[in-house]
Amino acid sequence: MNSNQTNSTPANGRRYWRSLDELADTPEFKDWLHREFPQGASDELDGSNRRHFLKIMAASFAFAGVATLGGGCRRPEEKLEPFGQQPANYIYGKPDYYATAMPTRTGAVPLIVKSYEGRPIKIEGNVLYPGSNGGTDRYSQASILDLYDVDRAKQFTHEGKTVSRDEALKFLDDLSAKFSANQGEGLSFLAESSTSPSRARLQKIIADKFPKSKWFTYDAIDSGIHQRAATQAFGQSVKPIFHFDKAKVILSLDCDFLGGEDDAHNHIARFAKGRKVENGGMSRLYAVESLFTLTGASADHRLRLDSNSIGDIATAIVTLATDSSAAAPANPNIKWISECAKDLAANHGKVLVVAGQRQPLAVHLIAHEINYALGAIGETITLVPVSETNGPELSQLNQSLKSDASDTFVILGGNPASNLNLRWTPEQKPKNVIRLGYYEDETAEMSDWNFPATHYLESWGDAATSDGTVVPIQPLIQPLFGGLTELEFIARLAGELQTNPHEIVRTTFAGSEENWKKFLFNGFNENSAPQFVSGKIDYQTVNNAIITGVNVRGASSTNNLEVIFYRDAKMDDGRYANNGWMQELPDPITKLTWDNAVLASRKTARELGVQNGDLVEITLNGRSVTGPIWTQPGMADYSLGLALGYGREKAGRVGTGVGFNAYKIFSGKYIETGATIKKTGATHVLATTQSHWSMEGRPAVREANLGEYEKHKDFAKAMQGEEPPVVKSLYPNPLDEAKKTALHQWGMAIDLTSCVGCGTCVLACQSENNIPIVGKDQVLRGREMHWMNIHRYYTSDPKKKNNPSIFDFNADQNKSDTDQQFAEWIDDVQAVNQPMLCQHCEAAPCENVCPVAATVHDQEGLNVMAYNRCIGTRYCSNNCPYKVRRFNYLDFNKRPLADLKGPMYPTAIFGSKTDGKLDILRWWKNPNSGMRDEEEWDLIKMAKNPDVTVRMRGVMEKCTYCTQRIEQAKIVQKVKAGASDDVRLTEAAGNIPKTACQQACPAQAIVFGDVSDPNSTVSKLKDLERNYSVLGNLLTKPRTTYLARIRNPNPLMPDYREWPYSFEEYEQHNGNPFENEPAAKGNS
Amino acid sequence: LPGAPAGDFEKSVIFPKWTNQIPFLIPIGLALVGGAVAAGVTVYCTPKNTRVGYQPVQPVPFSHAIHAGQLGVDCRYCHSTVEKSWFSNIPAASTCMNCHSQVLKDDPRLALVRESAATGKPIPWVQVHIVPDYVYFNHSVHVARGFSCVECHGRVDQMDEVRHAKSLSMSFCLDCHRDPAAHIRPPDKVTDLGWDWSTNLTVAAQMQYTNGKKFVHDWKVESLQSCSACHR
Repeated sequence: MNSNQTNSTPANGRRYWRSLDELADTPEFKDWLHREFPQGASDELDGSNRRHFLKIMAASFAFAGVATLGGGCRRPEEKLEPFGQQPANYIYGKPDYYATAMPTRTGAVPLIVKSYEGRPIKIEGNVLYPGSNGGTDRYSQASILDLYDVDRAKQFTHEGKTVSRDEALKFLDDLSAKFSANQGEGLSFLAESSTSPSRARLQKIIADKFPKSKWFTYDAIDSGIHQRAATQAFGQSVKPIFHFDKAKVILSLDCDFLGGEDDAHNHIARFAKGRKVENGGMSRLYAVESLFTLTGASADHRLRLDSNSIGDIATAIVTLATDSSAAAPANPNIKWISECAKDLAANHGKVLVVAGQRQPLAVHLIAHEINYALGAIGETITLVPVSETNGPELSQLNQSLKSDASDTFVILGGNPASNLNLRWTPEQKPKNVIRLGYYEDETAEMSDWNFPATHYLESWGDAATSDGTVVPIQPLIQPLFGGLTELEFIARLAGELQTNPHEIVRTTFAGSEENWKKFLFNGFNENSAPQFVSGKIDYQTVNNAIITGVNVRGASSTNNLEVIFYRDAKMDDGRYANNGWMQELPDPITKLTWDNAVLASRKTARELGVQNGDLVEITLNGRSVTGPIWTQPGMADYSLGLALGYGREKAGRVGTGVGFNAYKIFSGKYIETGATIKKTGATHVLATTQSHWSMEGRPAVREANLGEYEKHKDFAKAMQGEEPPVVKSLYPNPLDEAKKTALHQWGMAIDLTSCVGCGTCVLACQSENNIPIVGKDQVLRGREMHWMNIHRYYTSDPKKKNNPSIFDFNADQNKSDTDQQFAEWIDDVQAVNQPMLCQHCEAAPCENVCPVAATVHDQEGLNVMAYNRCIGTRYCSNNCPYKVRRFNYLDFNKRPLADLKGPMYPTAIFGSKTDGKLDILRWWKNPNSGMRDEEEWDLIKMAKNPDVTVRMRGVMEKCTYCTQRIEQAKIVQKVKAGASDDVRLTEAAGNIPKTACQQACPAQAIVFGDVSDPNSTVSKLKDLERNYSVLGNLLTKPRTTYLARIRNPNPLMPDYREWPYSFEEYEQHNGNPFENEPAAKGNS
Repeated sequence: LPGAPAGDFEKSVIFPKWTNQIPFLIPIGLALVGGAVAAGVTVYCTPKNTRVGYQPVQPVPFSHAIHAGQLGVDCRYCHSTVEKSWFSNIPAASTCMNCHSQVLKDDPRLALVRESAATGKPIPWVQVHIVPDYVYFNHSVHVARGFSCVECHGRVDQMDEVRHAKSLSMSFCLDCHRDPAAHIRPPDKVTDLGWDWSTNLTVAAQMQYTNGKKFVHDWKVESLQSCSACHR
């Protein structure tokens, strides 16, 4: 990569794409365009003059006809423009891969990024990185779209006016000189936390050079508590690393380690590794939580409890687990607690207790006390030494800014105006507010100087992963808008001679050139992680903290509600608000898109007299915010869940005004009590992708408890249901013949025991396959385009359900979700996740009904779509039992970004209104108004994968098993084979392609491969007894099969049941699947 | 009609006798017209006619006949990525200058090439062969498995200005994919455009038949006809 990224000038409305469209802007082309039509045809039409319009149209058609006959349909002349000088090692059409990393608050995600002709297009995990399985998280998958965001900060501005880059840089140099003279008096910084060694080095230079300056560090969502707690508990600067794979019993105290916590993708990987049934032994997860989280959905035992009472549970558990003779404290859940504590105590050295980021320090200390007492330190938790961060407390920030001495305030990244509620009156405002930011957002509005920041894919930098291994951040592309990296900005302000970020990182690295190259090639610095240290708990400190820290409040009520502020699975702290992929990704639990909501339990909603979509005003400590109610199954009563990061006032075209801003009542504490709710009377439409919560006894997801699974290994197949008698087919399936000569037969197996439902695969698929975002109104119509989605079902005790018959409209199964929200069964639920994508049925129902044979099988078992042949009848979608086909109702790729969040787009030409205007009138006045403008399209198309067709309106599409990757792998092997027969891809040779979802999955739940090879991983998985086909009794013979989910509950627990709820529901509907077996199962 | 002479029916002025044949003539006429339109479209509006023969004037009067034909420069000297990528590249000006910094170094016809090599400004070559965007054709695999350039591009070594020689329509692709044995040759002969098994045409055809079948079998040539082979 070219490191010389500092010399480009800021671009004003610069174009990025060299292609036909650029040609289309040339004077010649415009001239030609205008000659094609008569004078006046391209003038703006006055809607009232219909006669005029018809005249022009008639003339246009006539001219168009003449032009066609006269050669107008000749192919346009296209130019091929080669290089003047051939760059070395460059092959047009071959992607390049570079190792880089995405920095996070407390670590970094090591990545391999695929680049086509200089455009990064796909993010993948770095498999070389020790301990990585190539999985990533949602944020890194979606981050590539931010690079091509139309609303990025593009210019250097001073007091709202664009200034040149040179002017802006000169201003920094002048500042540096000024503060060198007065030792940094009046200079303060506000930066987000970072693990970059280079930034730490520059920060030290700043501190040395400007000793009177102040450096504040902040995170809107603070994950630093794990480090602070460990440091206090063990009396040394350490940070804990949780090894869920080594634990047998895990207890989560309000800790969403699989979802909302930092480093979740590593946690998912390790957790899934500890729960591979076939590898002998399976860990058990206990979760105590108030919100229903991904961790709760994966838990074997879940206790729903308000977040404030969790300290109480922790105290009880520490007493019972460390001292077997201790008397049980009084607690309504004492049976649950004591059995959990016994299980922990019985697994000495193999336990892991984690406290959530939102829980107070005392709960974390208790967790460490249990861990220490039960021998977890050094086994399931390792402690990594970290360097002490010593800066002023964030609480002093306002005071410091308002002091008279305050002169220059530098904001590095972040968005404190939005997520720190940073405000000042004109007289209190620091003289110069300087901001380096990625967006022209709320903070940019209140800053005097704005410097555009670069994306991490445009920057040189470095970072340290959660275990302290140093990883490089390499640019894949020159800064699109000539921004500055954080490192360069600080270096310039520090008056350093070395301001080129590449040089800065190189200096920090300090190794030989050989090692530097290796560092960049591998994407990490081997053995740079610090050694683990042993820890001895400081009981004195811990006990003091516990006594003062655990403050159990009385039970809440509707007049004293608990509010839980949580990190959203999509917006993070609000930084992905303008990312359309993230807005449209269904929340892993609520399945809401394009909104956040006030999550409340059924009981809470009932007592408050509100239902889904009712706008309520929440008042907390004198401040209030208004948002829509969403009844969440499994929520603790009298707790409200508020996702942060929505309701941005100035996020950009996509994100501005989506959802409500919970920061308005947030003051840095993640759990607050004393909130009240008032119904406003208004309602808000929420767009969810899954409106029915229950499977109603159908065996889409099949699950068993470990004990019963040992007895009935074949339970998943027993639940198949009755198959129709197989008669000889009138028309033989052509695939049966084609199969015999094909090189491979592709198939997929998805392990539901490993899948936690995080949604990374959905984004990876979207990125790989150019899947458009459709907007909230289209999601409401069920037109979302995700080829893959994760179905989340809630199951409950069937006795709680009202299930008489399918003809009874009062039965739960016939109720809409608006009525289901008041059903009692949703209080204590189990949740199951199931990734659903095209099943590639061997006897595909979609193929039989296509009138134009646009969807057919290829010889390797893929159900393929020929987009160019599709005429959009949608028969295939209608006939698909899995509902995995997606139709382009509109030209979604061309929908303007600002239209996506709403208002509701009318279908009807007559009657419905958009913004108060009839739709047809809007079209009449401006036929292109529904189209994305050139500027948007120019940038967004750079994110598209050139290996996959971008589909038009009227075309059906669906999962292809990443056919482009399969074909490329086959081509590579065939080129290698040449004049030989070594053309088969084999797992032994390591050349079986990975699908995008498989590659991204941190849990390795998805396995793709050749099912005609009996030794392939996928074949072996399909041979397992818990392998089953969804709707297999339809004889569709799906190539995608699922491995039934196994739960591992403790038989001694009060909430133990022999079989999971879903099985009991199944049994109620369909009878005992084992009744014909000799050893009947004896379930009561 | 009452009162009218009987003979008038046989000799109607308005509808003479031949009009009785109209119901039979109409379908025949329609069939003829329809057939003519269909034939016309097939002949004039399909790639066989619209593409074959396309021969745009290039900005530099480069002659493949001289370079590849007379001088015998291998195709891959300039089109160097053909074995590695889906795309067969147009050489950079620097490739031309490898020879033309010595040969014809001041020739006015090469002014554009010298300028491009010196300034980096690309030469705007006009693209002759192109398949639609939804077709994912891959050069490298065809060349590696013994399919010659000549199959799709014709005798470029005999063309002064490159001319679109084959239709490159979908049926053209399928012709070969349905019968690869008729076209396959040893991979080391793919860039030898004039090569044949024998100078005797009958012998050559026979050898193509026997060797072609053998190659297709021995090398497991798939010659896929499923949609996913080309459309993604």
